[in-house]
Amino acid sequence: MDRRKFLQALGAFGVAGTLPMTIGTPAWAATTATTQRLFITVNASGGWDPTALIDPKGNASRADGLGPVNNYASSAIKSAGQLQYAAYPEGIEPPASTAAGHLETFFNKHHQRLRVINGIDTQTNGHETGTRFVWSGRLETGYPSVAALAAAPYANQPMAFISNGGYDFTDELVAPVRTASAATFTSLAYPNSQYADNAALRSQSYFSDKAYANVQAARDLRLARLRTGETLPQRAAQMAQLEKVRSGDMKLDGLLAYLPAQVSTGLKGQAELAVAAFASGLAVSANLNLGGFDTHGTHDEDQTAALTLLLEGIDHLWEQLVLRGLQERVTVLIGSDFGRTPFYNTGAGKDHWNITSIMAMGAGITGNRVIGATDANFEALKLNPDTLEPHSSGIIVTPKHVHRALRDFLGVSSELDKLYPLNVERLALFA
Amino acid sequence: MSQDVRRCQIRWRDKCLLLGLLLSMLILALPANAATGADSTPNFAHPVLTIPRIDVQGYGSLNLSLVLESEASMTFRIGSATPAAAGLNPGATYSLQTQELTIPTLRVGSQFYSAQLRFISADRLQLISTAAVVLPGQTSYQQLCASCHGTDGLGGSVGVSLKNCSNCSALDVLGTRINNTMPLGNPSACVGTCASDIASYILAAFNASSSQQTGLALAAIESLPLDATLRNAALHLVGRLPTAAEMALVTQKSEAGLRQALDGMLEEDAFYARLAEIFNDVLHTNRYLSTNGAEAAIGLMRRYTTARWYDPGAELRGSDYTVNRATTNNSVATEPLELIEYVVRNNKPMTEILTANYFMVNGYSAKSYGITGVNFTNEWDPNEFRPAVLPGTPHAGILSSLMFLNRYPTSATNRNRGRSRLVYDVFLDVDILALDGVRPDGSAVDISNDAPTMENPDCVKCHSLLDPVASSFQNWNLRGTYAPPRTWYTDMFQAGFAGVSAPPRSSGDSLQWLTKQIVADPRFDDAMVRIMYTGLTGHEPLDAPAAGAPQAETEAYLAESTHLDEIKAIYVGANRNLKTLVKEIIVSPYWRADGLNNVAFSAVHEETGAARLLTPELLHRKIEALFGFQWRGPLDQYAANRNVFGSARLLDTRQYYHQIYGGIDSFTITERLTDTNGLMVIVQERMANEMACYGVPNDFLSARTARRLFPNVDTSTVLTSAQGQAAVRQNIQHLHRYLLGEELALTDAEIEHTYALFATVLQQGQSALLGVQGVSENTSLPTRCMRNNDINTGASLNVAGGVDGRLRNDNNYVIRAWMAVVAYLLADYQFIYG
Repeated sequence: MDRRKFLQALGAFGVAGTLPMTIGTPAWAATTATTQRLFITVNASGGWDPTALIDPKGNASRADGLGPVNNYASSAIKSAGQLQYAAYPEGIEPPASTAAGHLETFFNKHHQRLRVINGIDTQTNGHETGTRFVWSGRLETGYPSVAALAAAPYANQPMAFISNGGYDFTDELVAPVRTASAATFTSLAYPNSQYADNAALRSQSYFSDKAYANVQAARDLRLARLRTGETLPQRAAQMAQLEKVRSGDMKLDGLLAYLPAQVSTGLKGQAELAVAAFASGLAVSANLNLGGFDTHGTHDEDQTAALTLLLEGIDHLWEQLVLRGLQERVTVLIGSDFGRTPFYNTGAGKDHWNITSIMAMGAGITGNRVIGATDANFEALKLNPDTLEPHSSGIIVTPKHVHRALRDFLGVSSELDKLYPLNVERLALFA
Repeated sequence: MSQDVRRCQIRWRDKCLLLGLLLSMLILALPANAATGADSTPNFAHPVLTIPRIDVQGYGSLNLSLVLESEASMTFRIGSATPAAAGLNPGATYSLQTQELTIPTLRVGSQFYSAQLRFISADRLQLISTAAVVLPGQTSYQQLCASCHGTDGLGGSVGVSLKNCSNCSALDVLGTRINNTMPLGNPSACVGTCASDIASYILAAFNASSSQQTGLALAAIESLPLDATLRNAALHLVGRLPTAAEMALVTQKSEAGLRQALDGMLEEDAFYARLAEIFNDVLHTNRYLSTNGAEAAIGLMRRYTTARWYDPGAELRGSDYTVNRATTNNSVATEPLELIEYVVRNNKPMTEILTANYFMVNGYSAKSYGITGVNFTNEWDPNEFRPAVLPGTPHAGILSSLMFLNRYPTSATNRNRGRSRLVYDVFLDVDILALDGVRPDGSAVDISNDAPTMENPDCVKCHSLLDPVASSFQNWNLRGTYAPPRTWYTDMFQAGFAGVSAPPRSSGDSLQWLTKQIVADPRFDDAMVRIMYTGLTGHEPLDAPAAGAPQAETEAYLAESTHLDEIKAIYVGANRNLKTLVKEIIVSPYWRADGLNNVAFSAVHEETGAARLLTPELLHRKIEALFGFQWRGPLDQYAANRNVFGSARLLDTRQYYHQIYGGIDSFTITERLTDTNGLMVIVQERMANEMACYGVPNDFLSARTARRLFPNVDTSTVLTSAQGQAAVRQNIQHLHRYLLGEELALTDAEIEHTYALFATVLQQGQSALLGVQGVSENTSLPTRCMRNNDINTGASLNVAGGVDGRLRNDNNYVIRAWMAVVAYLLADYQFIYG
């Protein structure tokens, strides 16, 4: 379904054109109807290993002779509040204990705000399918990522949805925006300046203010004329989309004011840009993306390195949110394509496994809680859908359940919900 | 053609009215020895009910078309009546007594009904009854075939479309094919009568003529004029404007001239750069270019001791080390795309991109692979790629490429299944992952038995397709090199394809065998059409509609797929020469679509057309084609910047706009953005501002006859005289044509709008020069717009002792007014969409 069909469908529901802001008001912010929800997903691309993070198993030998799940002692498993977390594999040099990405440091600092859901069955071990299922709630193609759904009501905002890769299918509900370096943003913040990157010379423009205003006004009028006379639906839609985006109020200089003097690289840099875009009111949703988790060989070494970068990035994201006073407005969801096998292959690696976990933190999330579980062989346990406790006659939690709960939690409109149905029982995973 | 159709409809309108009156008095004569052959089955495709032949005394055999007028009352009016084609059976009878038209078998989509209509006035009929009809073979089709080929026969994630399929030419051909090979993997399930009945059903249900609806749909498209098509094709394919000779060809020979001009373009190097982009958008093997790591490709060559031939050791590195390293890396990285270029450039069939028993090297990569004896004209020419063979290696085209095998890696447990999925997706136009939708949802798949991929039906559905291809990769190891294993897994389906097992290992490499099977499969041709159509139009061909899809969606698919099938047939007939495919797509109404002449077809043509947001690469080349220089910053520094990759505003990601503007790095970002977003709008704005600033003063440096932008005016041309006003209008007309491809009359309203902008900026600027109303500007051009140095050499334009050729001032504000006009046009939809 494309955007035009979407709008037609909205018309059928009596919702025309631009959606009112209240349609996206999240359940947890119902008392403040004008509160704009902000949402970040963090994708550990390639398939992380929950047993090396928040669903630890230890090195007890498996009954089937496949060897241990992890290369650390079961007795080394640690806890912070209700959360259990992994130890570092034997022979692997952990990061400095004071580093933000150190497991102990991270969980001691953040466990009170972290909610963990373990034992999620992605029903696949293909990267493409896994990322699609985990971030859209459906195995099938054609369903937008939840980050895009969160941004959809604000599609008129020019940077409503920032994407750093990963699964960013939007079904044209909202145009994804890709980012670049701070210097690039500076040049775009002042498009009429000859010397955008030099504050002293920034006022030297290509056009006088009057001439520039004339050009822009003429341009907008011309686009409207073209669209009105266009008979080819595809081009008319492109013109309408261009018209809509141009009508947005893109004040990039506001974003620049919230960027650090030196923007970091990697996941940290993505976090800095997303938070600056939130703080300046340009964006409402972002997906962050970190690779390095597809550890088919030398798993312990490579997965540890990737997890360290991930935890550092999440910590940095949180610090940025706090710095901008956004920690009460931003919900963060962290996940990955799927999990990794509960045993090692002949190359000391771990291959794809359909069981995974997610972590959530931030606005509306009550932390220090773990829902769901896996057995000693990292197989998902069934849950009683009412109590969310393991129960032999219960149900296996899939990303579909997670997204059902997430959509309710985020306040995704019923119109969008009907357009992209999930058709699964409701579990109070984020309540 | 469309005018002919309309004339025909008008001509028959009067006769139809008469026919309606007469039908009530006529007895339908049904000849006993009716001919057989073409499809005679009446069909209904909303809103038209077509009876290919109904015999009417006094009129002979007519093709009758009824148009649904009211869905509430199900009344039809007679739309047209034309002589029936030869060789048809009558498909309906008429009763004088009851005044009822009886249609024993009426096709509606892929379903069949009997129908009765009764005359209610001279030219109107009402549907009075229908009943479902089950054809022989229909039930068997639904049980045995529909899961792959779709209930509508339009194909699915695995099965090809059965509409105009390669075996659908005759009943016996299709029956034999089904008898011998279908269902895949279990052909004994349907033989004899079962096979022939299903073949009959397929031909009746999915291959009956829908040419009338398809023809009407195509006739609704208004195509670009041929000269505009030539311009668009030249900019897209070779990044330049048409030459005078090419334009003359089109003028003199119409479409034949266009094809001739295209023939020339398809020999140019620039076309092969575009071709590589199109295929890389699918393969993403440019992930190993040095922009993603200095030795991203070289790093994959661990077994080759000479891989880093260019490095004599840190202490001995010369000044050419960096260049040689980057050139070598990129030469290795682009090898699969070079193979495609080699095949196309030499008019070889596209099948060779998979069956080539060689790979491509230039002097740099040959050294890395340790290959000698390749007859290079210049071994230091990075563009001279030649076929070569790695000793002891059974090359299998792209599939055995080191880049392909590493881009799509595998593991001991994945067992090449990822590679197999890619092969299906890219080279067979089959999306195996789309089968995920039928997996058990809400509970885990049972993997408790020893070989679930061979025994659990939930798994077998995909793996029976996936694993034979995966097993065919068995001789190529995890690192992408040829290393046959001693044994292969027995708990997965063995090497094969489409129900046929690969020969024993002793007979040769199974991957080479696989490539021969793939290219013999008609889906390989579908895949090539899909890749090129997507690359040239910016969007994929329509997918087969799902069950229950709106009629317009089905009609859109049928019209487009029928047309693409025709293009495919021409391409196949031309020995699968890709150049033929490119030409056919370019001249097709889908690429040339410029509007609709019938709004009733808006829903059918919702996705029709090749207008697209230009990729950063296409926009980069378009700018250069029109201005004669690239977007790399001020022209005074252009000579120094022109060969610095990082200065290209639309190609560089780190400092500039490639990624923001929707480009891919083939590594972390593999999907192009196709819709403008808020940041991209600002990139367009900055581009327009900068290029106007650089391009306008630069153009005025040249003599009028040599100018690209301003052949009708000078910097002294103002609006104080009628002559000046006329010249400005003429130049605006030229700018609309030159920059946007718009052919406008001087009296066109758009010319006036642009003129008004020029006049307003000029008047306000001249007032500012005089300091009127406290607003003041000086006569200097903006600093970065000044022209001080030669664009090619960087030398000063103020030669000592000679003429001062610099342009630094704009005394009467004319240059800045033109800059405003050019900036206005450069951010226009017509410029940024191609």
